[in-house]
Amino acid sequence: MHDISRRGILTGILAAPALIRSARAEETFVLGTWGGDYQRLQLENIELPLVRPLGIQSVVDAGDEPPRVGKILATRRLPRGPMDVACVQAVQGYALAEAGVLEELTVEKIPNLAHVKQGLATPTFAPHIWSPQIVSYSPERVSTPPVSFGDLLDPKYNGKVGFPDGNFFYVMMAAALYAGGSANDFDKAKEVMTKVNANGLRLYPSTDAGGPPFKTGEIDIGVMWLARISMWQNAGIPVAAAFPKEGCILYVSGMVIPKNAPNKEAAFKYINAMLDPAAQLGFAEHMGYLPTVTNAPLTGKVAQQLALPDPAPKLVTPDFAYTTRIQPEIADWWKKSIQHS
Amino acid sequence: MKPSPAIAFLGPATCVVLALLIAPLALLARDSLNKYDPTELMIQAVTPANYLRFFTDSFYWDVMRTTILVAVLVTILCLALGMPLAYRLARTASRWKSVLMLLVILPLFIGSTVRTVGWMILFAQQGVLDSLAHTFLGRRVDLMYTPAAVVIGTLSVNLPFMVLTLQSVFEGIDTRLEEAAQGLGAEPARAFWRIVWPLALPGIGIATILSFILGMNAYATPVLLGGPRFQMMAPLLFWEFNTNSNWPFSAALAFILMATTLILTTLANMLIPRRYRA
Repeated sequence: MHDISRRGILTGILAAPALIRSARAEETFVLGTWGGDYQRLQLENIELPLVRPLGIQSVVDAGDEPPRVGKILATRRLPRGPMDVACVQAVQGYALAEAGVLEELTVEKIPNLAHVKQGLATPTFAPHIWSPQIVSYSPERVSTPPVSFGDLLDPKYNGKVGFPDGNFFYVMMAAALYAGGSANDFDKAKEVMTKVNANGLRLYPSTDAGGPPFKTGEIDIGVMWLARISMWQNAGIPVAAAFPKEGCILYVSGMVIPKNAPNKEAAFKYINAMLDPAAQLGFAEHMGYLPTVTNAPLTGKVAQQLALPDPAPKLVTPDFAYTTRIQPEIADWWKKSIQHS
Repeated sequence: MKPSPAIAFLGPATCVVLALLIAPLALLARDSLNKYDPTELMIQAVTPANYLRFFTDSFYWDVMRTTILVAVLVTILCLALGMPLAYRLARTASRWKSVLMLLVILPLFIGSTVRTVGWMILFAQQGVLDSLAHTFLGRRVDLMYTPAAVVIGTLSVNLPFMVLTLQSVFEGIDTRLEEAAQGLGAEPARAFWRIVWPLALPGIGIATILSFILGMNAYATPVLLGGPRFQMMAPLLFWEFNTNSNWPFSAALAFILMATTLILTTLANMLIPRRYRA
């Protein structure tokens, strides 16, 4: 039997970190993202098939977007930030870029950026998914499909209008587009939304809570992303999408890398994998969002469900420079004039 | 003079309290005096603007009024429903007493959010209540996103705390005192009112304060059962923090909520005659 010497134990203790490092086969990076389906689909469509084979694994920091943005801003002066990749909506992506906290993304760093559709990317934001905002309605109870946001004002829908409260800013942009011809005309949007509110508007506390009321008959008409409509349809909810004639506000969500990200190389590789056609098609099929790259054409049932009408509807990208400035004021107005009325 | 060993034992606990309670509160107090900026998040300053914004806007007063009303109503209902139950549990000699106690504690085994989801299934359109009312009464009952739903939901969260606190209070009151009162000719109700009630008053005060504090700080129940239109202080605070990323104002709201709760509980405590106070 071997005696275990004190020197042997000390050597073992000193060597332990090196042993642990070598045993950990994969390099890690921190992915700040939403939880739920989005996180699951990221794992299934991006990480497992495309990133893990590169010897990279994510450590997920799941949560709502505002705390994630808050974290990036609050740690901006630290040499090592808390996140390598942060998933944000384009509106927030722009706000973070304005604050000067984001790494520039180039084709040299992320080759698949070369395939991104025009108008969706910015120098610091890689778009992941997009979807037009449409007028949602019940095909069972609405005989003539709605044609514009203005249908929400129709007295025949009194008490039957509803959407998730969290989408308020995008709904306000849709109201502005309808009433003022520009997504930035928030004065007109306030007038219209006040009337929609008076038409018995119902607000739901989460996005998921906005679907079942179409099934129960609680609401007949609302505003939603096309992607959600296809998800709800797949879940057996009788709901349909109508493209408003004044245009559809685009919801774009994507990824950014903070300047102080500890593992930028892994972050570049992850975003490159996110833009891979296979990953993009996976999200279209399972979540109903449209690909942000030109080399991932949709086919079959997904193509049918997500097809834009012919002639193509007017798609309106928000004016991010303006939305960044106006959002707190609109949030305050919404809270006091719509929620609290 | 040598310090007492008892004081030395207090040291670690004091340090933990200072580190985990006082320090974050101090940080929160400092943040509440900062300025908000949408891109910078917070600008270092010493300004009362966030507090002034609350006190000069009737909207925030309305939200505070709703919060206090819900907390007071829930506390009164908790007392009315919880006291007879707690008294009965304390005085029962049944062999089922431990089972009955378990039934009271059982709701605490489930998180309040999960319990609220249960209420949502019950209250929703075409939910359990609505379906039953439609089948048996021929009318619809839509309780979801109403103040009544919030009060019922919060009541279900607070009631076990009230019953458990009061039950231990009643257990501590010697039954022979009531028997003596009844032996001297007092009716059971009079014996309760003249003997048990004054003795239980400090404990009732604590149970009431506990329920009131829980009601004032309710978050999940108002959000899930009240919906976006029903506004109470904790959800409003979270909206400012989460949706607007306005940390200075949400820090100020947190302090205002804490201070209001503290002032109201102190006032309530003053209503209890001095000789009965805990």
